[in-house]
Amino acid sequence: MHEDFPLPDVTWEPTREFWAGAARGELRITRCHACHRYVWYPEPPCRHCGASRLTWTSVSGRGTLFSWSVLHYAWIPQFKEQLPFVTGLVAIEEDSAVRVVSYIVDCRADQLRCELPMRAVFRPLRYPGVAAQVVAPFFAPA
Amino acid sequence: MTGTDWGFASDLQDVGEAIAIVGIGDADYSKASGRTTQEIAAQATERALTDAGLSPTDIDGIMYIPFSGDQFAAAAYRSHFGTSHNMWVSQKGGGMVWAGSAPYDAALAIRSGQARYVLNTFSVAWATQRPQMVGGPGQVHAEDLYKQNLEVPFGWFPQPVYFATIARRHMYEFGTTPDQLGAIAVACRRHATLHPTAIMRHKPLTLDDYLHSPLIADPFRKEDCCLISDGGAAYIMTSLERARDLRQPVIAVLGVGVGNSRSGAYWSQQGGFTSTPQVFAAPGAFAMAGIRRDDVDVLACYDPFTIVSLMQIEDIGFCTKGDGGRFVAGDTLHFDSGKLPYNTHGGMLSHAYVLGIAHVVEIVRQLRHEAAAQVRDAQIGIYGGYTGPQASTLILGRR
Repeated sequence: MHEDFPLPDVTWEPTREFWAGAARGELRITRCHACHRYVWYPEPPCRHCGASRLTWTSVSGRGTLFSWSVLHYAWIPQFKEQLPFVTGLVAIEEDSAVRVVSYIVDCRADQLRCELPMRAVFRPLRYPGVAAQVVAPFFAPA
Repeated sequence: MTGTDWGFASDLQDVGEAIAIVGIGDADYSKASGRTTQEIAAQATERALTDAGLSPTDIDGIMYIPFSGDQFAAAAYRSHFGTSHNMWVSQKGGGMVWAGSAPYDAALAIRSGQARYVLNTFSVAWATQRPQMVGGPGQVHAEDLYKQNLEVPFGWFPQPVYFATIARRHMYEFGTTPDQLGAIAVACRRHATLHPTAIMRHKPLTLDDYLHSPLIADPFRKEDCCLISDGGAAYIMTSLERARDLRQPVIAVLGVGVGNSRSGAYWSQQGGFTSTPQVFAAPGAFAMAGIRRDDVDVLACYDPFTIVSLMQIEDIGFCTKGDGGRFVAGDTLHFDSGKLPYNTHGGMLSHAYVLGIAHVVEIVRQLRHEAAAQVRDAQIGIYGGYTGPQASTLILGRR
């Protein structure tokens, strides 16, 4: 595990652009260079046509809440201070098969329902005992 | 990906009635015990040999999976029993999906004469190794770099969170309720209280207890989640012909199927989000066995969480997709219900978390008519194996 865990390793090449985009306030997702369909996670080959090259593109940051869990227990010690918290999956507006994992923020857990319209908000992500911080796409009700 | 293009069935040869399971052995099941995985597997193997009436040198094929802790491979086997004989070796054995698919690979080896008596073992010492999910069951997921960089930073980790999220979506799509998930936990616990080696045998659980227990990863309560245990089991396979000359009733392998998810262990991206690859595994196994769902007397599925039981029951075809919650409500899964007796040893929720190998042992016991919570006159039983990326359907029949 790298030293900033559970923060991402923003230098890891396959997801570097996701985090670089977030630092600029953009939600970046990969699509196939050949068939142009979205492919997520950013791991070649394309699941649709088998092409080996993926390219990064900015998406709107709008989507719908696909599903979530409300955590009352911390399986990783650095998550303990933020309990309870909501983590889940947001299906992006451009292709509902692409689900972005994120924290669900700016709402009460009892207000959540599947298919609730969401929007990305870009904020610092920090954990206790970890010196670094990164800007990350969180999701809030639209 | 929607519909059924999110996965596929493995193309398997027909091995129906080629082999039988002729020996079974449990290691001791416990919480943290200080034992090693090899010690656990050796104990299970000794008991399986005794059960089958075989000696250590009769075993000329050994199956395991390279996995957490040292598994019981050929060198460990020879060292433990003080033998030096040649063995056919396969790493397609062990627990999880492989507890159900190992008989397929064993059948091919036995049919082609590469081995006569094949041992499959699996053991874990996770309760001893570490109670935390990092270093235990969650480690493989924490070490996956896509998860480490796109999931863990957002608190979406480990397995209880993945499957709580799946359960929530199942509730949204199909109207599944906490009471229905609770019915699964209650049935498994009742079976554990009847089972002499179940870790939770002294801890009865009512639906009311379940519903009043705290949420840990809403919609999951603690009782939706499996135990963390030390333990393991073993089973021995041989040809149907040789099985008839051994001491135990002949429990034949009637059918095997394997299904695969194209998104692997990235549950967040699985097209069939509220399904398992049992959708792809089960049809081939039933066709190979030439049986119908109605013919099944007892079922055991790899059950890390209640929702995984529910989805596999649907996906194997015991009810329409989405009706699983209504199907399992009440006493359906109880051993004496006359409906669909399920995880009659208590499963990973209440017997022990040994990743499915004890499920196969329990199905064999049921078909021998030696189980603690015995299903009356059980003739056909199924193990549903699961890992996320794959599922297996193993159909066994008393012959």
